[in-house]
Amino acid sequence: MIHWDSASQTHIGKVRKRNEDALLDRRPGSLWAVADGMGGHQNGALASRLIVEQLADLPLGANLDQNQRRVRQALHQVNHRLTQEVTLCAGRPAPLSGSTVVAVLAQGRRALCLWAGDSRCYLWRQQKLYLLSRDHTLAQQLISSNISASQAARHPNAQALTRAVGAHEVLRLDASEFTLQDHDRLLLCSDGLYRSLSLRQLAQSLRLPTAQASIELLFNLALQGPAKDNLTAIVIRPTPATSPP
Amino acid sequence: MKQTTAPAGAPLQTPSDLPALMGKRYRIERLLGVGGMGAVYRARDLVREQFGDPEPWVALKTLNDTFSRHPDANALLYSEFALTSRLHHRHIVRPHSFHVDAQSKRAFLTLELLAGPTLDQIMSSHPEGLPWSDLQPLALALLDALQHAHQRGVLHGDIKPTNVMLCESDVRLFDFGLGQGNEGLLSRLPRLSRRRLAAWTPRYAALELLDGGDLSPATDLYALACVLYELASGHHPFSRLTARQAMRMDQYRSLQKPAHLPAHCWPALRRALAFEPAQRTSSVSELRQVFGQPIRRWWPWPQWAAVSLPLGRTSQ
Repeated sequence: MIHWDSASQTHIGKVRKRNEDALLDRRPGSLWAVADGMGGHQNGALASRLIVEQLADLPLGANLDQNQRRVRQALHQVNHRLTQEVTLCAGRPAPLSGSTVVAVLAQGRRALCLWAGDSRCYLWRQQKLYLLSRDHTLAQQLISSNISASQAARHPNAQALTRAVGAHEVLRLDASEFTLQDHDRLLLCSDGLYRSLSLRQLAQSLRLPTAQASIELLFNLALQGPAKDNLTAIVIRPTPATSPP
Repeated sequence: MKQTTAPAGAPLQTPSDLPALMGKRYRIERLLGVGGMGAVYRARDLVREQFGDPEPWVALKTLNDTFSRHPDANALLYSEFALTSRLHHRHIVRPHSFHVDAQSKRAFLTLELLAGPTLDQIMSSHPEGLPWSDLQPLALALLDALQHAHQRGVLHGDIKPTNVMLCESDVRLFDFGLGQGNEGLLSRLPRLSRRRLAAWTPRYAALELLDGGDLSPATDLYALACVLYELASGHHPFSRLTARQAMRMDQYRSLQKPAHLPAHCWPALRRALAFEPAQRTSSVSELRQVFGQPIRRWWPWPQWAAVSLPLGRTSQ
């Protein structure tokens, strides 16, 4: 039996006028998600929030595969609504509205990460940091086609998303499944957060004993910088329940 | 600088652009849906709560930022309230009240809170379409609702799967945000604003709307026919195409009767899907009539058929 210690925070940052990030920290149910909205006016904020609300309401059971299907179905439905059922106005461009999503579901030690876009899932294990998700950005696409990371980063649209909920009529989600070990930490975060911090700082924060302590350090460090974007993070720590006496 | 920390069990933030308490009375709790023009939230009515109402929740609708800056925005939302208030039908959402939040100057309306899946959610779990036994009551409810609205001189203007909810096996048509009253009815409401704000959902908009025409019972009929076809077959009659694109590709000619639809319903439904308004000779009442008919059996079920069925499958 696994218990979870999780903590989460979202912050508007120092420059943006609104927070377009949304998060879900659903400890009974073992579902966590970060969504980073995009689009003009408040559309991005509504898209990310809609994702989180749909996932918050989802009936979840004890079967990870079934839960995964439900999460996928919910995300596909949001995508459908944002792309094919949007009311358009004559003479105006289609309202651009979408959001990244990264979600983790767990059942016992089995866990699964689903994502679209550039919000990330990191795993901290035995003093090493692993990136479990792979960005859906132009830069990552260039790297996959054998262009060096430094060259890819110089592309003027390097950070442009190649996938997101609401970006295309058909949503493609990536998934990676893994098994959790004692003392693992998971970090879900928006790009605002990880672009503000070095890998060393991420590691330094995740090394701390509680999820809350990790979150506090992550935000303290990120807010020491310019914090041009919204910042959102969830830290999850599996804690094996002590057997009853 | 605003900072929110989400404790476990209360994972959601309040929307950053909306006061958490609207009209000093409605506490916004969560986002239920987003449309092209507005967003709908679940809100707790503090007055009802104060009087011990065990279910103090309402649906609260505001226009989104793009529209709330429009000069006619409040009038537009009011016209939705006024139109919906004129309808009294068990399959149409019931509005409660219209307000303007003094502090934020935002207009909002409250409606009965509906809970259940919308038709797009139902369809995603029935990719082959609904069986007739499920489809028939749903179709009749929708046709009754629309017939009632039209009889009261109200056009919906944006019928689509996300605007129909199945609540505890009862159907509700909602979102009259793009609706319009016919001549005479609501004559002092800002009808013109609808024209300046011509809006539609591409795959459910009749050809004449795309060409700049007005709403009419026939444009609602086209949209509803698309939804009925989709419910019966699991897919939109013209897949991802708008009426104009589908007409250019002559898709009407290749329309197939959905497998779950009884044959006697097909001619009227097919005519309701015609692109040219002149050819859309079906009507809501005609569809209501054919969908309400029992399935005809041309041949009486022979006695010997039951006997020849495999053991255990006889109906007696």
